[in-house]
Amino acid sequence: MEDEKRSEFRAALRQTKNLPTLPGIIAKLSKMADDPDTTTEQMGRVISKDHILAAKLLKLVNSAFYGFPQRISSLSSAIILLGFNVVKSLIISASIFEVMEDQDVELWEHSLGCAVVCSVIAKRLGLEEPEEVSTAGLIHDIGKVAIKMELPDEYELICRLMRERGLSMRQAEMEVLGLDHAEAGGWLTKSWNLPRKLVEPIACHHDPRKAKEDQLNSAIIHFSDILIRGLGYGHAGDDMVPKLSQRAWKLLDFSPEDIDEILDEVDEKLWDVKGFSLEVQSQAAPPQGGGGEG
Amino acid sequence: MQQILTLQAKEGMVLAKDVLDGEGRVLCGKGTELTAALIGRFERMEIVKITVEGHPVAEPGEKSLKEQLRDVEARFANVTKIPPLMYIKKKIMKKMIDSRGQ
Repeated sequence: MEDEKRSEFRAALRQTKNLPTLPGIIAKLSKMADDPDTTTEQMGRVISKDHILAAKLLKLVNSAFYGFPQRISSLSSAIILLGFNVVKSLIISASIFEVMEDQDVELWEHSLGCAVVCSVIAKRLGLEEPEEVSTAGLIHDIGKVAIKMELPDEYELICRLMRERGLSMRQAEMEVLGLDHAEAGGWLTKSWNLPRKLVEPIACHHDPRKAKEDQLNSAIIHFSDILIRGLGYGHAGDDMVPKLSQRAWKLLDFSPEDIDEILDEVDEKLWDVKGFSLEVQSQAAPPQGGGGEG
Repeated sequence: MQQILTLQAKEGMVLAKDVLDGEGRVLCGKGTELTAALIGRFERMEIVKITVEGHPVAEPGEKSLKEQLRDVEARFANVTKIPPLMYIKKKIMKKMIDSRGQ
């Protein structure tokens, strides 16, 4: 019975009637990146073809959220300065975040907050590509959006179980669907051909032990989710702080001083992001006067 | 002190931190009392947020400190046996109390 439900749900996800698919541009760019003869100009040209995406990308690059030190004004300089992998993460973020924000603003806030914590932690641990971890944090709950959009009846039932029996969203999902949003998010991102380094932490964010390749990334998302829930920033279905995986805690190996500093940094950055969120919401407004070069 | 959006700034508020331009230069030092002209200038320069003294802007639906602390307790109710999380809870509560101080 349970398997039946799972395959039903998997089929619903595969059809994704309601969820937009990730732009084909990601697959195209990935292919280009694998080809040693590809130049940054060529990649820049491919991205530029999608005007909206290109504009969003540059906005994101220059936003407080990513906080790169210098102003980046063209796609090719973004690729040169940040590297292709970072740009790819940014494209993924730029494409997905509208879907999420439209669907559920509070979940979006939770996700954005989680991404902020991820980036603070990733930088602190000296990871090579902190943007990748932030992107995973940003879309770690995409499975919740998928369940809500593709299985509205089951979603109703999940909400009722939470209300009536005080279950966490994840417990209610397990009861109704036999799987949770982490697993659903894993399937979905895998079907979008996102890099495995993003898929795994999304699929394993409630149980980092399950991660086969990258337990540290999964541990970061796991802990960031906990921290942002503790702070009460945004709303992820239910308000409860989930249990901390011992494995994750061991991997992260934070001292009390680390925690103090992380909390301070997160506080500061969440404020920056508040401005950023409003900025993006007002995106439809005509751009303000020319970009004065300093 | 409270960090607010420039949109929320009003005349008479006092800066608790320097306001910097995009290049990191000080536009306006802390301790300055805001005027309409100054606020207009920040807006034109696309300064999104500033930090002011006290807690002058009530966020929509903002809860009292007591309610906020009670919410934190409730959120951590299932993890009271996990020491690192209890440490985080304590710190979050302390920060909340401190941020309300003038």
